Amino acid sequence: MQYAELQDAFIRLVNDNRGILYKICRMYGATEPDRQDLFQEIVIQLWRAYPGFRGDSKFSTWLYRIALNTAISDLRKQQRHIRTMDPDSLPAQLQDIQYNTEKEDQLQSLYAAINRLTEVEKALTMLYLEDKSYIEMEDILGIPQNNLRVKMNRIKEKLRKMTKEAVYGVGNA
Amino acid sequence: MELETLKTLWQEQDTPLATESSQEELLALLHKRSGGPIARMRRNLRKEVIVMVVSYAFCILFYLLAFNGSMSGVAWVFVGLFAFFYVYYYRKNLLLKKMQCAGCEVRSNLAGQLKTLQKYLRFYFWSSTLIVPVSLLASLAITLHNRPVTSWWRVTILLFAFTTGLTVAVYFLNRWYIHKLYGRHLRKLQELLREMDEI
Repeated sequence: MQYAELQDAFIRLVNDNRGILYKICRMYGATEPDRQDLFQEIVIQLWRAYPGFRGDSKFSTWLYRIALNTAISDLRKQQRHIRTMDPDSLPAQLQDIQYNTEKEDQLQSLYAAINRLTEVEKALTMLYLEDKSYIEMEDILGIPQNNLRVKMNRIKEKLRKMTKEAVYGVGNA
Repeated sequence: MELETLKTLWQEQDTPLATESSQEELLALLHKRSGGPIARMRRNLRKEVIVMVVSYAFCILFYLLAFNGSMSGVAWVFVGLFAFFYVYYYRKNLLLKKMQCAGCEVRSNLAGQLKTLQKYLRFYFWSSTLIVPVSLLASLAITLHNRPVTSWWRVTILLFAFTTGLTVAVYFLNRWYIHKLYGRHLRKLQELLREMDEI
């Protein structure tokens, strides 16, 4: 395949799967600049690995592996400060999204709870929410299915407790 | 909040549309360099190689040409060190290349990274510690060969004492430095693997 064709095919595939990438960046990046850095890094890693992708596994499995490998082992210092953003300064493509406030609120609470999980737990939660089977999860993470089931039950319990704390103030001194 | 009930909400969340400008942004990203830890380590290694080649070439030429060639023995010590560092950087680069397998399962990638990083750090530590006594003793041998002194045993004892002291100091300095540079990375990899393996 010619270089330009390879580039076009790659861009098409990334565009088709950009939802997955955005969700991973939103999960692992603490601030907007962190998320942008992570998105950039994942795309670079995908592009580097793309010529070696032979289709032995599904494209989405391969993409999840690279994106999660990059997100989990990324050691750059995350920017801890919270930045406020003027809505007018958002990129045009982000402004175009019509947000449903109630939905967005629920999503925000979900992300806030997920944010308190460890990096490995975040990966499991992401795959679970994406409705991946335990076989696929094992294929992506390399953790045996039995172990995955035990971990997933523990995470569900943890998230339940966290959201209870957020709603009823349990555990908040 | 039940995770099960949030699946649909999660799957239906909005993501930015792929526009013409986002295609261009993606294309631009393909030409950027990675900011990942391994890519940074490889870039630092390349910088070290350039500094080493320039400075050693200068030292070798200087000792070959200056003092009417009477110090050419020192130039040969530098040639030996140059050969040592060539092997040293070559091995480090090989280990760094092996360190990442982005398309592998997450656990096996992390395990591979940890194993290779430990190997890399052991090699880094011992080679940068042992090079000090080896180069000092080689310099002593060449100096004594070129300019024999009457009380050579006194010079030898003094230099041995100095070399031992310096090697011990370099040993602790390297331990501290490597821990400062890679300690956090190593601990994080160990923690991630421990968490993945625990039931």
